Amino acid sequence: MDIVKTLSNLWNTSGFANFTWQNAVMLVIACVFLYLGIKKQFEPLLLVGIAFGMLLTNLPMIKDSSDVLYHPEMWTGEAAVAGGVDYLDVLQHGGLIDILYIGVKTGLYPCLIFIGVGAMTDFGPLISNPKSLLLGAAAQLGIYVAFFLAICLGFEGPQAASIGIIGGADGPTAIWLTKSLAPEILAPIAVAAYSYMALIPIIQPPLMKALTTSKERNILMKPTREVSKAEKILFPVIVTLATCLILPSVAGLLGCLMFGNLLKECGVTGRLADTAQNALMNIVTLFLGISVGATAKGENFLQVQTLYIIALGLFAFMFATTGGLLLGKLMCKVTKGKINPLIGAAGVSAVPMAARVVNNTARKYNPNNYLLMHAMGPNVAGVIGSAVAAGFLMAVFGG
Amino acid sequence: MFLNATSAIEIKMPLTDALLLSVIGIGIVFAVLIVLMFIIMLMGKIMEKSPALAAKMPKLPKFSDIFKKKKADEPITEAPEEPKAKGTCGELVLINTDERDAAMIMAIVADTTGTPLNELRFKSIKRIDE
Repeated sequence: MDIVKTLSNLWNTSGFANFTWQNAVMLVIACVFLYLGIKKQFEPLLLVGIAFGMLLTNLPMIKDSSDVLYHPEMWTGEAAVAGGVDYLDVLQHGGLIDILYIGVKTGLYPCLIFIGVGAMTDFGPLISNPKSLLLGAAAQLGIYVAFFLAICLGFEGPQAASIGIIGGADGPTAIWLTKSLAPEILAPIAVAAYSYMALIPIIQPPLMKALTTSKERNILMKPTREVSKAEKILFPVIVTLATCLILPSVAGLLGCLMFGNLLKECGVTGRLADTAQNALMNIVTLFLGISVGATAKGENFLQVQTLYIIALGLFAFMFATTGGLLLGKLMCKVTKGKINPLIGAAGVSAVPMAARVVNNTARKYNPNNYLLMHAMGPNVAGVIGSAVAAGFLMAVFGG
Repeated sequence: MFLNATSAIEIKMPLTDALLLSVIGIGIVFAVLIVLMFIIMLMGKIMEKSPALAAKMPKLPKFSDIFKKKKADEPITEAPEEPKAKGTCGELVLINTDERDAAMIMAIVADTTGTPLNELRFKSIKRIDE
């Protein structure tokens, strides 16, 4: 037995022998995300999964080893781009994360998450104040501003659309669109989308202060009307029919969102609603986080474009908040001060974080000004708005 | 690199087209949501003007209702057969607790934790007599 050769082989197969600077940088980034998720509790349910997926996929391994968890060439290699992904090959030769990634690539996870989100969301505030939908629409401005800026910076149309959707402040929607239009930038898009959603309490308040006057921030809004159970049951059916007939490409997301909501509201499927908002949601979040994080391979992630995407994502969030606030101001003027323009900032989706930020900001200026329920209207309208925007971009670039 | 040289030439979009697409895009979002707004308004009007229909479906309690003070002379009703409380996700079992007290407890928990009531899940509330 040749001891030297054995030791040499052992060294050559070890991670240390195959360690690159990209591995080192990505492992540091993964650890930073783990810190932010665990210590700072920034979207921990997803960020911890994303960070650990990132950590696993950037461990140096021999390319042909059967231990490799994720094979990017199966998804974005020349053969996959030219002839489509060979799912049989993925199932036969893929690693754990390759198999989990099928759910991302096929759009399964975002849709399942939307069923869970629907089962957890109360659309009552929106039904009682339908004008909230306008604020939810205005807050999608960020998507199109970021899209235009991305084109100006030289990104292709599908990539620019995927970058723009970060402004929708909706992680599953961003993943749903990007996996179809620009899977090669899925990791930076997902990381940017979830990072900025977690940073909403830092991003939005300065804009709220800058764009509203003290008088506007102190407006007390009247309680909204009561909503009957019939309206709550009819709402998901009507929204599905109306939106999917106008824009069929939104059926995947909005159909699932409304299905989940119907399970919650119809009153006869309590067990299913319970499963959707708890067990199903948790399982899918687990799979989604780790498989999206695994796509952040150093050689793909560490690019100048990633910095552009991160910067454009921030612009998208800022313009989305600005759009909502400006329309809120306009509605305040039109209604002669009956609407507090701060609730426009909640139109950026990110349920319920954005509504909570609005409530906290309003209470900062007047401790008796509770805007939470008023902000929930634009907040859930933002979910519908960002899904419609994603459906439009899918219809334009996905065909 | 993300940008593929060959496809970039084919797919790269002129700025005027990108601007036009952005305007159309935000216009579509507004159009769809405005249609929804009118449908929801119409639904609300029909419910308002059709008491028979509204009566068939019980009204859900407003969030603000749970803060309302109970009248002094209102008798406290014991929960005889572990009734299910309204206004919470799933089903809530009340044991020796009336709905008002349960609503107060839920509101306090929601306020203290900073979590909207519709996101909290209460399984049961039981009065413990000491």
